[in-house]
Amino acid sequence: MNVRVAFCNHHSAGLDLRERIAFSTPDALHDAYQQLRKGFPDTETVVLSTCNRVELYAAQQDSDRLLSHQDLVQFFSEFHQLPVADFAGELLEQTGPDAVRHLFDVVSSIDSMVLGEPQIVSQVKEAYRLAQENNASGPLTNSLFQRAIGVSGRVRTETRLVEGRVSIASVAVSDFAKGIFDHFHDKTVLVIGAGEMAEETLRYLADEGVCAILVVNRNLERAQALAERWRGEAADFSKLDAWMARADVIISTTGAERPIVDVDRFRRIRDQSDDRPLFILDLGAPRDFDPAISDLDSSVFLYDIDHLEVTCAQNRQSRQTEVRRARDIIDEETQRFMQELYHRASGPVVKQLREEWHNISRQEIDRLFAKASHLNSADRQAIERTVERIVNKLLHPPLESLKVAAREGPPLGLMDALKRLFLRD
Amino acid sequence: MINVNVFCFLASYLVAFVLEAARFLRRSASRRMLLLGFASAGFLAHTLYLVNRSRESELPPLLSSPHDWMLVLAWLVVAIYLFVMASDRDLVLGVFLLPLVLILIACAYFSSRLAHPDAAQVALKGWGMLHASLLLFGIGGVIMGLLLAAMFVFQHSRLKRRRILGNRLRMPSLERLARWNRLSIILSVPLLTLGMVAGVILAVLSDASADPGQGITWTDPVVVVSGVIWLVMAVFFGWLLTPGRSKGPEVARLTIWSCGFLLVTLMALQVLTSDGAWTVPTFHGAVGERSR
Repeated sequence: MNVRVAFCNHHSAGLDLRERIAFSTPDALHDAYQQLRKGFPDTETVVLSTCNRVELYAAQQDSDRLLSHQDLVQFFSEFHQLPVADFAGELLEQTGPDAVRHLFDVVSSIDSMVLGEPQIVSQVKEAYRLAQENNASGPLTNSLFQRAIGVSGRVRTETRLVEGRVSIASVAVSDFAKGIFDHFHDKTVLVIGAGEMAEETLRYLADEGVCAILVVNRNLERAQALAERWRGEAADFSKLDAWMARADVIISTTGAERPIVDVDRFRRIRDQSDDRPLFILDLGAPRDFDPAISDLDSSVFLYDIDHLEVTCAQNRQSRQTEVRRARDIIDEETQRFMQELYHRASGPVVKQLREEWHNISRQEIDRLFAKASHLNSADRQAIERTVERIVNKLLHPPLESLKVAAREGPPLGLMDALKRLFLRD
Repeated sequence: MINVNVFCFLASYLVAFVLEAARFLRRSASRRMLLLGFASAGFLAHTLYLVNRSRESELPPLLSSPHDWMLVLAWLVVAIYLFVMASDRDLVLGVFLLPLVLILIACAYFSSRLAHPDAAQVALKGWGMLHASLLLFGIGGVIMGLLLAAMFVFQHSRLKRRRILGNRLRMPSLERLARWNRLSIILSVPLLTLGMVAGVILAVLSDASADPGQGITWTDPVVVVSGVIWLVMAVFFGWLLTPGRSKGPEVARLTIWSCGFLLVTLMALQVLTSDGAWTVPTFHGAVGERSR
């Protein structure tokens, strides 16, 4: 089989190595394709480079001329100016059906760090588009990647692999905040503290159109740094109550040892605001908000890590149970793809055989018509149709045998036998 | 004329409701198609039934009898449901809306099917049509208000209890539900008011043209109860528009109470004034032999 992939991902290599062998910019990718075309002009290639994986797919119509793993390792080494010994052990390979299955696993997000995450499909599509743009793909990689995108669609619709969010921030925003607010462009988001999880939540909120972001932190410099990244404002911690009264969404991640907002303080803050809904995401451990605050007011929705983690765990568990069903689909699709590929490999022989036999029959018919000039047009047509049927019936068994043999692998032996038995040199 | 009876579409909507409820258990594209199929088949049967009834009585369904009027109301609600479902596959709507449809149809079944003889009078027909149409859309708005308020309470409770919907199901946000709820009440009260005014004009015209004692009287139970209902809705409307009112679950619960009261009263009235065992004499639907 003539597809090979050399790859390293979050399972096999650390971030440090992945960063070193990644093709992180369009220019780097363009240069890589240029170098690949120069070094291996007959080989189709597609490079998939994301933060979690670097994969190089190579395909060749002629199996004997397919690049070896060593060729691909050498390419990585030369392109990134890295000694082979630094990464060869972590650069894995798959060939033939395993390489196809690997791509189907990747695009279906079975191989992703977060099972069922949706970004990988667009990353694969983008990788394939760039390969086309750089004239690096060809008939084999076209059908492989187009099928891969189809497989991903099938897995998504026929399984529940992508259902339910699995990160705290996405559950908080998508399952809860969006249940409260219709839109976010007119909402004020207050971030208390400057933790990583707060930033991740801001990313989801920004996707929903949040414009007004205010960061309050005991360390004003850190608050300013975070605010700058999100085009928000930073404020002094002493103004916290005033800002809480104005906020629609509060994300808190201070790392304080005890709640910074108790019931009495919150009641005073709430008195300053109208009764509009307030979404509080308490990401602090221990918690920053007294849980009793939730019962104070029907318009206050308070969520802490434990609440959200329960949902995330349920969703993760639910996704895990779907992996087996996804794998069944992938196995079936891999087998079907390989059969089509093997069958396609026999295409030139089939074509040649058809042409040869039909040419012979045509010659014999012409000879007959030259001798039997008394035949009228209807007789001639009847004879032509009869001979054509005979040829087709004779062709049927060998072609069917080829099709059956292609289910198991490339029917090289049978193709060779057909060539020897029925085709002239 | 295709023979369709009430049970044809009642059963279709019932199956659609069960399939709607099953969406909470597991997502299935085929089940959704089946659900839409049953709802659409019910809608088609419902339409044919109304057309047949209209041909039989030679009156528009809105005028022919309380039975037909309630079925038109249910038909309108199902039309909205099918439109929304066709445009948003993940929205949770049927579990709230289809029970109302089933109740409306059940009440229609026990309501009078006979039109008052005066309903066909040309002089009254226009006013009668206006009266029935305005009330239909007004009550339609009330049903939407009730539905949206119920959805608000459900969504609010889910968010407070930190439960996810799952199966990719979706509900409108509280903000949107509150806005739509308010809008449905604001639209329905003027429509009900205009419907009442048209009813008063109709009563005066009917009284003038009818034999003594045969026209609409101010003590007609439907007129009295409708007046009370209108008053309740008008008070609620005023309360809703007063600045500084709470906009959250309090409004939703009050909407459920007031709209629920209106609908229960209306339906009970239609059943009680029907031509069954406990009839109350009224101009709204003639007393006669039941023919199901």
